[in-house]
Amino acid sequence: MNNLPLAPAIVTDMVGSGFIIVFSFLSLRYAWLLTKKQPENFLWGFLFYFCLTLGAFAISRATGHLLKHILLFSGNHELWQIFSPVSGGTNTLLMTSLAAVTLYYHKGIEGYQAINRKAKSLKEAYDQLENAADQLQGMNLHLEEKVAERTLELSASEKKFRNLFNNSKDMVYFSDPKNHLLTMNSAGFKMLGYPSEGAPALNLETIFKHESDWESYYNTLLSQGFIEDLEVEFAKADGSTISVLLSATAVSDDKNQFCGCEGIAKDLTRIKTMMAQLSASEKMASVGQMAAGVAHEINTPLGVILGYSQLMMDDFPPESEQAQNLAIIERQTKACRKIVADLLKFSRQSESAREDISINEILMDVLAVTQHSLNMDHISVHRDFAQDLPPIVGDTERLRQVFVNLVNNAHHAMEKQGSGELTLSTRYDPGSHEVVATVRDTGHGIPENIQTRIFDPFFTTKSVGKGTGLGLSVSYGIIQDHGGRIEVESPVANRPSGENSPGAAFHVKLPVMLVETASVRE
Amino acid sequence: MAYNLVSPMNPLKNLNALALFLPVALLLAPDQAWALQSHGEPEGIYVHQMAHIFYAAALGYLFWDVGRNAFPGKGWRYLQTFCALMILWNVVAFSGHWLGFHIDNSEIMRSSGYFSSQIMGPISGVKLIYFCATLDHLLSVPALFFLFLSLRTLYRSSDKAETE
Repeated sequence: MNNLPLAPAIVTDMVGSGFIIVFSFLSLRYAWLLTKKQPENFLWGFLFYFCLTLGAFAISRATGHLLKHILLFSGNHELWQIFSPVSGGTNTLLMTSLAAVTLYYHKGIEGYQAINRKAKSLKEAYDQLENAADQLQGMNLHLEEKVAERTLELSASEKKFRNLFNNSKDMVYFSDPKNHLLTMNSAGFKMLGYPSEGAPALNLETIFKHESDWESYYNTLLSQGFIEDLEVEFAKADGSTISVLLSATAVSDDKNQFCGCEGIAKDLTRIKTMMAQLSASEKMASVGQMAAGVAHEINTPLGVILGYSQLMMDDFPPESEQAQNLAIIERQTKACRKIVADLLKFSRQSESAREDISINEILMDVLAVTQHSLNMDHISVHRDFAQDLPPIVGDTERLRQVFVNLVNNAHHAMEKQGSGELTLSTRYDPGSHEVVATVRDTGHGIPENIQTRIFDPFFTTKSVGKGTGLGLSVSYGIIQDHGGRIEVESPVANRPSGENSPGAAFHVKLPVMLVETASVRE
Repeated sequence: MAYNLVSPMNPLKNLNALALFLPVALLLAPDQAWALQSHGEPEGIYVHQMAHIFYAAALGYLFWDVGRNAFPGKGWRYLQTFCALMILWNVVAFSGHWLGFHIDNSEIMRSSGYFSSQIMGPISGVKLIYFCATLDHLLSVPALFFLFLSLRTLYRSSDKAETE
């Protein structure tokens, strides 16, 4: 084979050197751009240093090669002999550096991967923490909503029970282990006669009227834990008594120790009064029936006795002893007949008229008859009549008898003390559609224990011979016959102060019957 | 006994004495020192050849590690191509240097000028390989081109990744 020309190799070397420089710098540029974009990325850092070293190597080598060609081409062989080891040594150094950079890359990448793993782990932990924080925040938000919702419900519930407590007409109370009343509603204070504001400290034991009731209440509560419908009496602030129906529950702490009680007491006084009135009414009805029967039976023989005694009186001269005895028989028989007539009136057996009447007029008539004798005993009379009083339907004469009886009783109650005040008043109660006429005195009053008996026939506190005990019974019967009722109050509560005054007041309550009034007018 | 009067020999004390004696001895007789050791002319080419081996090995490691880590994207594949071509270039360059060291200068005729240089015939296999080795840029230029492609692709793909 012939000689091989080296010119292609020289050309390739020169052109290739140029390309090498260009490509190495282009690579370095992109490596630099990568590091600028993501400085934290280790791989880009490695590639940048790799390209930097490679660029240096490329320049060194290409420059060396070009210099060699130029010097050898220009015949400067000696000069090239000087530069040649420098170029070769530099190339060797840079090549070694390039290899070192590459080999140390794995250490870097391990570190980078370790950091990445840590960073990933930290990121995961952070994400988890963030999720947990989000969840917690959500829960917190939800919790706040729940709390707000529950608070609202609790507030509504509290308001409801507070209203129930405050507006209850029954006494509601809470007491501590020593039975001190901690909380009591206004109805309770009112029931006991204490002001709601500034009431003294009360103890349950002291408001029980009877010690036996208290012991029964307390022992049952301790042994049973509750007490139901216990009928007891409470002492009011003014010393009077009220009957209550008591239910209570013991409150225990965590150790099951008694730490107080909560209870409700219902005022039975009104119910008891009504019951007593009902009982009295029934009693009166039965007494009336009996009286009517007796009166009928007695009336006939009394008539015969009266008739024969009057006949016999004609047989004797008026001044004779016989005539005087017969006159006594006649007078007593007439008294008996009056009693019988009263009994008949009480038992509503007598006839009565029905007409529109004015209570004020009746009272004025009664006062016209009785005022003189009242003045004699220094009893002042007060009139307090309502002017626009509606008329009632009834028997004027019989109602007049009722008020005469009441005024007379009042007179008798005050005559011993030598003075007094008699008040007659009328008013209309639109709630019950009743006309209320009150006869009030300032006498000795009626003891509580006989208040339920004063309407009984033949019951009287007057001395023998001064009263038959039929006045109030007859009045009771007449008022009943008019569809009304008669109530006694002693002592008398002054309105509106509520303080009691001595004496008694009889309230006659008569219904206003408009339809009947119209028919009567027709 | 007499030997009991002599203190026992301490090796540490002897070493300390030697360490003190040697620097003093070297200072007193410098022409006998061995601090500098000259090498023959081929040391440079040997070091250069070793650098080629070192560089090729490093590139081989990079090629393997990129594959092992399975970095995603074409950019990393281009980098592997660069590594492969550069390893080949190192082989070629190593061979060229080695053959050039062994070919006598008389085998290259430069009488008609530098550009007219020729390898004298008859052309043996060694001479032919040497000739091919002088064309090493046919490997290194594509290798650098792939490095450029690799970095450009990585840069652009990082752009896309950021956009996504």
